[in-house]
Amino acid sequence: MTHIYLYLAIALVIFSPLLCSAEKEKLIIDVDQPSQMKMPIVIPDFPSDPGGVINGKDMAAVIRNNLNATGLFEIVEPPQGMEFLDPTSEAWKAGGAQALVTGKYTINGSEISMDLRLYDLALKKMELGKRYSGEAQSYRKILHVFSDRILERLTGALGCFSSKIAFVGAGRSRELFMMDYDGFNLAQLTQNKSINMSPDWAPNNSGLIFTSYLRRNPDLWRLDLDTLKQLPISSRPGINASARYSPDGSRIALSLSINSVPNIFIISPEGSIIKQLTSGRGNDISPAWSPDGAQLAYVSDQTGSPQIYTRPTAGGPGVRVSLQGSYNTDPDWSPKGDLIAYTTRVNGRFQVCTVKTDGSDYRTLTSVGSNEDPAWSPDGRMIAFVSTRNGAKHIYVMDAKGLVQTQVSRIPGKSPTWSRNFN
Amino acid sequence: MAARLFMVMLTLAALIGAFGCSRPIVKPQGPGADGGGVGGFPHPGMATGGNISEQDAEVLQAQLKTVYFDFDNYSLSPEAQSALQYNAEILRRTPNTMLIVEGHCDERGTAEYNLALGDRRARAAADFLISMGLPPSQFSIVSYGCELPVDPGHNEAAWAKNRRVYFRVNR
Repeated sequence: MTHIYLYLAIALVIFSPLLCSAEKEKLIIDVDQPSQMKMPIVIPDFPSDPGGVINGKDMAAVIRNNLNATGLFEIVEPPQGMEFLDPTSEAWKAGGAQALVTGKYTINGSEISMDLRLYDLALKKMELGKRYSGEAQSYRKILHVFSDRILERLTGALGCFSSKIAFVGAGRSRELFMMDYDGFNLAQLTQNKSINMSPDWAPNNSGLIFTSYLRRNPDLWRLDLDTLKQLPISSRPGINASARYSPDGSRIALSLSINSVPNIFIISPEGSIIKQLTSGRGNDISPAWSPDGAQLAYVSDQTGSPQIYTRPTAGGPGVRVSLQGSYNTDPDWSPKGDLIAYTTRVNGRFQVCTVKTDGSDYRTLTSVGSNEDPAWSPDGRMIAFVSTRNGAKHIYVMDAKGLVQTQVSRIPGKSPTWSRNFN
Repeated sequence: MAARLFMVMLTLAALIGAFGCSRPIVKPQGPGADGGGVGGFPHPGMATGGNISEQDAEVLQAQLKTVYFDFDNYSLSPEAQSALQYNAEILRRTPNTMLIVEGHCDERGTAEYNLALGDRRARAAADFLISMGLPPSQFSIVSYGCELPVDPGHNEAAWAKNRRVYFRVNR
């Protein structure tokens, strides 16, 4: 008799994984799947706190906008009158939604506390539940942090909605500015009344390097984000331009034209020359580090027209990776390492395109107006770029396939650079 | 004709000088310490002004010709070369003048590549003048890329005016 029970128990242990796998599959977005479908997700307005200036509609919109920007989700309209329904209700699936995000909040003086949740509608299971509290006016920050977590839960890699984009004003002012990745919380960083160019975030978010004419020459400067003080790093005669921190922050690649044509150099963060990487007869500019720091992509017009090349930072010949077009500039290497985005001229206008690092699989991502200067997001899911599609130059953000393209800068801007997450 | 041939030879000599294999060896140094640069152009922020009166400077500034370029190009056209020859003659008569040679581009293309292109244009113009016997110490070069157009228009007429090298008299 006891034997029978034992056999039953063993049978259950053996067969239970089979039973589980026969059930519905876990909610997952496989970003490496080329034919990947968008995941339908429903994010109803949060119930509003009646006394507050903030409302639940705007809060839900922050998360909707974040997820939509990645190109990985289809935002499904919630069924009428569903705001306060049980998350396990079948009614949520009416529009085809597979996942649900709900939020509740209370405001107490200047404090806000939020209860945010992600549900798998098929499994009727809560995948993620977080309680946050903080200053009520920084509620967007909380929603960005939770959105980062949603992506982590569904794709295995954290989102980058808590990051910022710095850029150069493209109107009368050529000062440096920064904003949340979605354009909110715009802040002016410099007031030097000079021409400022090509900002690049320090990998630890502590500051930016940029080229400025403060001393009548395009010199390299560093801006400290805490003090907003500007200090010169490289003031060599000629250009000190297009500087980019290595991914670990230990080196800076830039273009110098000391007594010669512009060539790519690697310097220390304090400005000492470590090595000269290129010495060709062309103009070499706009270096972009591979995520492992072992290679640089850069522009050279050594063949007569600007083209994109890659070259090991340890030394070795350059390999051309832009195989189409007669004008290709501004490379940026994807943080995932697989793609290089750059600007290409097509029919007299400029477009943002990507290639694999061997130059294959060329894809143009933009087509409306002129578009240039791509900058990858730190998670490699999105690209910031400059577009004139609505007149003046503005900063736009799109997903890595170009499916969703949105203007984010509130003022004219150019030369975007994307920080890592601020937490 | 002989003078012209001489000029071509000088230009060739200058080109060989600029592009030859005698590249300076780069050693690690202090932050930005290798300023000044033997045989190169000084940093414009460190260049001291020339030794001429304000009035003379204004007259000279009005006389100097601006040099124009084709799109995405830093080679000196015959028109550009004759403008530079004209400038060289004038500068020979005012040996104490310091000049900032400014390289500019039109708005098309990206800011960073245009910065390199402007640098190359300014260098080409300055090297031409040096090949005509003017002392290198008389010039500092600065590229403004596409940051300072003279004509804000978005058409070929404006772009043609903006692709230029401007000689600024530094007092």
